[in-house]
Amino acid sequence: MRRVAIIGAGQTPYGDFPELGVKELFAMAFKEAIESVDKGIAPHEIQQAFIGSLSAGSGFQLGQLAPLLMGHVGLPNVPAVRVENACASGGFALYNAINAVASGQCDVALAAGVEKMRDVSSTKAKYWLGISGDTEFERLAGLTFAGIYAIIARRYMEEYGLTREQLAKVAVKNHYHGKMNPKAQFRQEITVETVLKGAPVADPFTVWDCSPTSDGAAVVLLCSEDRVKEFTDHPVFIIGYGIGSDYLALQDRDSITSFKATRQASTRAYRMAGITPKEIDFAEVHDCFTIAEILAYGDLGFGEKGEVIRLLEEGETYLGGRLPVNVSGGLKSKGHPIGATGCGQAYEVFNQLLGRAKNPERQIKNAEVGLSHNVGGSGGTAAVFIYRREG
Amino acid sequence: MGAHISIPMYQRAVKQRYRLVGLKCSNCGQIIFPPKAGCKSCGALDNFTEVQLSGRGKIYSYTVIAGAGAPPEFSEEAAYRGAYPVVLVELEEGPRIIAQLTEPVPAEIKIGMPVEMVLRQIYTEEDVIRYGYKFKVLEGEK
Repeated sequence: MRRVAIIGAGQTPYGDFPELGVKELFAMAFKEAIESVDKGIAPHEIQQAFIGSLSAGSGFQLGQLAPLLMGHVGLPNVPAVRVENACASGGFALYNAINAVASGQCDVALAAGVEKMRDVSSTKAKYWLGISGDTEFERLAGLTFAGIYAIIARRYMEEYGLTREQLAKVAVKNHYHGKMNPKAQFRQEITVETVLKGAPVADPFTVWDCSPTSDGAAVVLLCSEDRVKEFTDHPVFIIGYGIGSDYLALQDRDSITSFKATRQASTRAYRMAGITPKEIDFAEVHDCFTIAEILAYGDLGFGEKGEVIRLLEEGETYLGGRLPVNVSGGLKSKGHPIGATGCGQAYEVFNQLLGRAKNPERQIKNAEVGLSHNVGGSGGTAAVFIYRREG
Repeated sequence: MGAHISIPMYQRAVKQRYRLVGLKCSNCGQIIFPPKAGCKSCGALDNFTEVQLSGRGKIYSYTVIAGAGAPPEFSEEAAYRGAYPVVLVELEEGPRIIAQLTEPVPAEIKIGMPVEMVLRQIYTEEDVIRYGYKFKVLEGEK
């Protein structure tokens, strides 16, 4: 297998864009990705495309979304496929694109994600968002996604003494970070009190524990090691990556305070990279609900399960701390356009590693190794990537 | 809005929804609910026998879905009850299942509370009432 590097990346702002459809969003991110390549790249150099999306456009399930989008940017003959694994669609698109390059199928591949969530009524959004669990049984109990994560949170609180206030601190941190990110959906600081007094969604969560519905797209350009120099002298190599899966329904899992899919994915990624979690300088993790970031700390090996809340309490996962987590604002504040999220995380890691965070106050200093973590549904799938700046 | 679970899809699982009929793996003895094609313990793909689960268990975890956060097919329920509790129950035979807690709901729901399955209307879709299991907290027991 060949080594693979990111040579360029682009991402739309995340948020509510009434005038932009999936095509326009994809084209915006695509253009930025092309323009971000240091020595330039002609679009026709792209040989394969993998595009993550859950709804494929407002929940209307258009078939063959990937060639549609590639045709929109003038590349109708680049072999393209849509990848779907719920909220991990973007991460799995990235995984497939890396493998296409690593295996020698192509030298330059595009990984992307796109979602248009704000076009539909909240009733319809809840309808299609609720179907990435085990619909026949979880949904028939009247459960929502927030409800599933809330059940995880209640169990975590019972087993490890996690408090409601500590849970809220995840949202407070990520909003603090998101305020500095010009592409974040919610750029406002909040307090623990804001979270606790928010409108109830699913006990113990209020609306401030939950990521929003968002429109957005992200595009990542990948290249084989032997051709990197044609495009840039500052590549970011993907030194380790892994994926994992588990039963979709919580009821079928032995433990609900840990995601086996994440543990599987991160174990593989660390092994391939030949490093330990201690060598990670910063991470973008899947905080679709506040409890999800707490789970991620344990499952990514940042600390022992139950002990990890100290990372947050002691400020270690804040920008400037030992291991900044979600300096982009995370799904919570940056936004969560489902299919785009996994590639948007790679965009953030790529730019942070190259010192291109745009706003100097949000730049992580001297980072060499970054990690991103993308979860499908409530842990049915997960993808983990480890990146290193070389040159 | 179309039905998210059609009548034929619903009907195929009536045994589970009405009567909590699970499977027992003849190879390793694992009890499986809802039924699956592969045993979660030993991986066997055949030699399962049906077993009737007792419907008794304990609350393993819970949440309360707020009215505004309910899925569309439960909006009537949410409007009527204001909010409704959903519990993950660990049955005495081992499997865990997710279901709503039925009235009367205790003032404070606690992990470990004993519960028992009851058959209730779950919701209505395509003009057909969908029955299924809920759980009620057993009073005075610990």
